[in-house]
Amino acid sequence: MTADARPRPPSLAVTAEEFEARRAHVHAMGGEAKLAARREAGILNARERIDRLCDPGSWIEIGEFAWSAREEDRGRTPAEGIVTGFGKVEGRDVAVASFDLTVLGASSSATNIRKLDFLKTRASAAGIPCAFLIESAGARMPDIQGATGMGRIGLLSSMSRDRDTPWVSAVLGPCYGMGTWYAVMSDFAVMRKDATFSVSSPKVTSVAMSQEVTPEELGGADLHAETTGQVDLVTDTDEEAIDALRRFLAYLPSNAAEAPPSAPAAPGGAPEAVEALIPPERHKIYDGRKLVELLADEGSVMPFRPRFGRTLETALARIEGRTVGVIASNPMRKGGAIDGPSCRKMTEFTVLCDSFNVPIVLLADTPGFLVGLQAEREGVAGEIMNNIRALTLATVPKLAVVVRKSYGQAYLNLGGGIADALAVMTTGEVGFVDPAVAVSVVHNRRRGDGEDFDTLMQDMVVSNSPWELAGMFAAHSVIRPGETRAWLSRMLEVMRRRPKGEVGAHRLATWPTSL
Amino acid sequence: MEAKSEITGRVLEVAAKPGQTLAEDDPIVVLESMKMEIAVTAPRAGTLREIRVAVDDLVEEGQVVALLDPA
Repeated sequence: MTADARPRPPSLAVTAEEFEARRAHVHAMGGEAKLAARREAGILNARERIDRLCDPGSWIEIGEFAWSAREEDRGRTPAEGIVTGFGKVEGRDVAVASFDLTVLGASSSATNIRKLDFLKTRASAAGIPCAFLIESAGARMPDIQGATGMGRIGLLSSMSRDRDTPWVSAVLGPCYGMGTWYAVMSDFAVMRKDATFSVSSPKVTSVAMSQEVTPEELGGADLHAETTGQVDLVTDTDEEAIDALRRFLAYLPSNAAEAPPSAPAAPGGAPEAVEALIPPERHKIYDGRKLVELLADEGSVMPFRPRFGRTLETALARIEGRTVGVIASNPMRKGGAIDGPSCRKMTEFTVLCDSFNVPIVLLADTPGFLVGLQAEREGVAGEIMNNIRALTLATVPKLAVVVRKSYGQAYLNLGGGIADALAVMTTGEVGFVDPAVAVSVVHNRRRGDGEDFDTLMQDMVVSNSPWELAGMFAAHSVIRPGETRAWLSRMLEVMRRRPKGEVGAHRLATWPTSL
Repeated sequence: MEAKSEITGRVLEVAAKPGQTLAEDDPIVVLESMKMEIAVTAPRAGTLREIRVAVDDLVEEGQVVALLDPA
């Protein structure tokens, strides 16, 4: 018998047919019935979402053939419920995880936690952002039940980060457990208006606490946008949510060691429009958002958490093509008085800007911090000090403008003595409190007490003037309102951190994403 | 849909009429508070159904000052 005639062992080589069949099984996700129901509801599936996020042709999947660690579930866990890989957004690489609710509710399991861990560690090493497209039923009970299950989870992966690369997330359906953790740990979280996220589901709440609640009550979009502040934007559709992630990433560098990318410069608002917007009378209000729009490049303002802490507007924007983070009083809301939510939002936004080398622009028009019984009970004192520490520790260029009034501690928290450069508009006034209050406290006189009050009041107003602040060189410039954009643009150019390649020290990088 | 005051103050002016169509953030009443004129605005676009306060009324933080039918 010749060697050639011996019977050959069965080949282990995978045939093209088998490869295609396995791939088709994975890409069929949780099956046609579930996918059809989503199409019917106008909701994208996990893979369509990736296509929406990534530049065409840029996607490379990792862990395509991962399956459940439980042998009996292998056949029904395509990609193990979370599709992961790398794609490009506007030409720059991003690590992406898209939770597939049609596969066992995208529940967290031993294998898909490892997929996410792979993604996060490789993204950090490569210096690229992470994007999470989330919906999840929470923990997969059979996998993590008991000491063995829970013990395994503890050994798998850490839920920590130090903001070495930006994280963004979109909550696009019901979301509990691990999905929720990624939403609140991100630098930017958007949700579709009918999505929900919470730590536990109503079912768990009902059993554990005898509390009957709806998913919306536990974690609806209005709750997170207006009360918890854990969502930065709410959209009507999946497409808008994913487009917002693309837009947000365009302002930021791929990682903390790079300067933000610049965009082509666009014109800002006319100086006359700025002059017309700001009423010289201190008791009149205006929309602070309009001032931000006028000072930034046209169409470049992206509001950050606009429905929460509305007395301060926070937004990413560009001035002459350069990315900036704007923190602006909005006198239209509570007269611009800084309340607890505004204060926390500003702190978190400051941390975000500082972590990714984004210069900060502060526009102050505030009667001060909103104090009183409720604020004190909620610990506003600590919030005010967190806030000023964050701004002080931030090493990015900081430019402050006093638009009209800036009183007391709020003057300091909005950059007084802290900013690299501070300009006061000719409409500006700085003091400890409103002049009428000052007269009442210092001289024990009230309005209506006759000429005496008027004279004392006039003295107080004069002592609050821009010339006093500039004369002692606490303000570095006095500008007309219409000159503000030009001043900011020029100072941003001057204050670039050239010796460090425009990269900051990131002393805030370990501060939490939710304060 | 309720329009609530974000702040305690005294009503200085009623700036809209029932039946009027309002855009988001359009003023409904103007309060005097913290020595400033601060508007209570439409939370979303809609038609104004009812105004529950008059000039010189004291308004508490969180008080409903008007009802709207969402657009």
